[in-house]
Amino acid sequence: MSRLLRRNSSQLRLLLSSGGQVTRLASSGEVSPPTAGQQEIRKQKRQPPPVVPDSEIKKSVFISQSSDVFTNLALEDWLYKNFDFSHHHVLLLWANDPCVVIGRHQNPFTEANVSKLVDRGITLARRNSGGGAVYHDLGNLNCTFFSPRERYDRKYNLNIVTRALFREWAIKAEINDRDDIVVMNKKISGTAAKLGHPNSYHHCTILASANKLHLGESLVREPANYISRATASVPSPIRNLVDVNRTVSVPQLRSAVGYEYLRTAATSLEDGGSTQTMKQRGFQLINPTEKWFPGIEELRSNYSSWDWVIGKTPKFTVQKDLDVKGDDPGMKLKLSVEVEAGLMKEIGIQLPQSDQLVPVVTPLQGKPYNEENLNGIVGALKLVSASNVKQAINGSA
Amino acid sequence: MTTKMAINAKDIFRNQHRLIRFIAQSIRLCSNQSLKAAQAAQQLQQQKSTADFQITASVDAQHTSAPEPVKHDKDLGHQFRASQLSVRLAAPEQLQPKPDNDEELGFGRLFTDHMLKIYYHKSLGGWQRPEITPMENLVMHPAAKVLHYAVELFEGMKAYRGVDGKIRIFRPDMNMNRMNLAAQRSGLPTFEGKEFVQCLSRLLTIDSEWVPHTDTASLYIRPTLIGIDPTLGVASSDSALLYAILSPVGSYFKTGSSGAVSLLADPSYVRAWPGGVGNRKMGSNYAPTINVQKEAAARGLQQVLWLYGEDHQLTEVGTMNIFMFYVNDQGEQELVTPPLSGLILPGITRDSILRMTRQWGKFKVTEANITMPMVCELLNQGRLLELFGAGTACVVSPVNRINYLGQDLYIPTMEQEKPVHELIRETLTDIQYGRVDHPWSIVID
Repeated sequence: MSRLLRRNSSQLRLLLSSGGQVTRLASSGEVSPPTAGQQEIRKQKRQPPPVVPDSEIKKSVFISQSSDVFTNLALEDWLYKNFDFSHHHVLLLWANDPCVVIGRHQNPFTEANVSKLVDRGITLARRNSGGGAVYHDLGNLNCTFFSPRERYDRKYNLNIVTRALFREWAIKAEINDRDDIVVMNKKISGTAAKLGHPNSYHHCTILASANKLHLGESLVREPANYISRATASVPSPIRNLVDVNRTVSVPQLRSAVGYEYLRTAATSLEDGGSTQTMKQRGFQLINPTEKWFPGIEELRSNYSSWDWVIGKTPKFTVQKDLDVKGDDPGMKLKLSVEVEAGLMKEIGIQLPQSDQLVPVVTPLQGKPYNEENLNGIVGALKLVSASNVKQAINGSA
Repeated sequence: MTTKMAINAKDIFRNQHRLIRFIAQSIRLCSNQSLKAAQAAQQLQQQKSTADFQITASVDAQHTSAPEPVKHDKDLGHQFRASQLSVRLAAPEQLQPKPDNDEELGFGRLFTDHMLKIYYHKSLGGWQRPEITPMENLVMHPAAKVLHYAVELFEGMKAYRGVDGKIRIFRPDMNMNRMNLAAQRSGLPTFEGKEFVQCLSRLLTIDSEWVPHTDTASLYIRPTLIGIDPTLGVASSDSALLYAILSPVGSYFKTGSSGAVSLLADPSYVRAWPGGVGNRKMGSNYAPTINVQKEAAARGLQQVLWLYGEDHQLTEVGTMNIFMFYVNDQGEQELVTPPLSGLILPGITRDSILRMTRQWGKFKVTEANITMPMVCELLNQGRLLELFGAGTACVVSPVNRINYLGQDLYIPTMEQEKPVHELIRETLTDIQYGRVDHPWSIVID
């Protein structure tokens, strides 16, 4: 029934053009993602590739058969590194089993309670693009828009999503300044991108029917004071599409966004209806295994390795209050641990009044930073008293 | 210029297209080196050592004879054009999941998501508009001719994903010609092969993700033409359906086996006879062979070697053409295959091998009858070097044993030092997978 609506959508098309949604795009779609460390200046030095006319670009919608976040991240990476998108634009649709995905330059410990995630069987992953932390489960659909770098157009992609939502369920969605898609002031989608050469991708999430309770509980940081210069997430109130319209489901969302992508012209937001869809390559199921994509296993093992997920955390310091025995309550000592590449490098005790740091020697130095090891240090220091510390300072001075 | 420099320059000149492709790929890559570039580099190194013959980009005029164009019937009606193609794409719910590994694939068990259909109705003026639809069942009247008199013919070809990621098909014009000749014999309408290949290309583009991104995978294409006239008279079909379906195929040889096959040669079974249709790819030729294959399997043999006549001529191996490499009476090496006398299916692999080896000029190539007494004699004298089948499915299939009149004959095909069948296989696959540019391999993507 809904497919009929899609085909004979002349009435809807009229509504759209008068509805005031973003129709024309700025021709220079080179928007850099809002994270530190992304470079896109090099383009001036390269020769511009030949312009491919719109009619020669054919589109496909790839649907991943896997629900493992590491496999899907590896698939995204494989396509980015190996596919030729010059005449073939691709939209990859994927959904994951419950997991938390942080941005390339983020600190997982400030974004989520890492030990609790492990307890609950929620995977922690780090993606290759910048941006903030998100919670995924099978009620959340991920869309990755692939194209050559010169045809990267974030606004176009986001408009495909908002149009699909309207065409299928008459849901009015808007795109805010941070490139989030919001419905009635609450966020239903977040965005991140990777611009390389010659390929680029822009991916975004769409919250259809995610488990909001798990989401809230997973994105709560560990109870300690973090001093970090990693990209921090900007928390926003979110909602599920299913709260706005009960009939929204991830399979239908896949279909709606996919058809909208296929029926729209490649470089402008012009709807071509079923005539345009007929000229495209259509939907394809993708099985991201080594047999179909040689080299993907290696990418997957990289994404799931400790070195990538935890080890790529930018340097940060953790501070925790120490309960030291027998002194005035004003004398609060702090345990300060500097963590580099996920390993505890410098461990010390900080005095309240001064900046001085008394180094602590412990076999736990150089070990991975996690709740267990941190508590190990705290436990070992229980026997220390304030006078010990003063002695240590005066003795070394 | 010294000889060494000349040789190096010749090497580079001969391999320049590979070098260009390799460089182009390296430039195309993002920061990390991709698997493809590493593979391309490896192949470049490998091929430099084996080239002691030339794969020329053009096929010699002396060895070419283009297939004769088909003469259509006067009252056939109009032809279909690829420009009239209409497409109905499969919705996400209609898609088939892709299997995890080769073991599940087998041959022809799994099919892709779309198919090509073109109807012919004399009463509607001839060939109708071609359409690509999701894979679906056919509906026909119980009196449809194909169900009663096997008014059916088919083709077998493959699409290969080349080393540059583009999809290629091998000599499709030959398959089209063969199909039309068979159509004439069965009272089915003939068609324009070029237009059909274009429609097929569109189908392959849509289902291109069914070909894995490795350089050893292929997609089997099965074009079929059936008579659907709902009348019981044994006459030409006024209505027909030309369709094509695609099937992903795993590697032909199961891991662990040496790759060679054993054959049952029993003269009491005859596949084709003079004046019959052994030289046409019609379904009716294959139904009678199924039970014989079953018997071969029961005797522990893998394929059937089809014999004909009092002198037990070798005609075909299973569904492949047969080649023999031996030392002839003049003491020279010779490659021989039975001639197209009407009993033999004119295989495209067979034709490609003949043209290619004639162009090499390294040994004598003839088309002549081979008989079992001849094979036994050569075996006794140690002059039989190799025996192999040739077909689209596996390119070449070496034979190591024949069970003939109760006796086991062991053929030293796999024991040769530099087997000719391996060389042939490598050259053909190089062309098919685009490792060398050749007019036989057409890029459709």
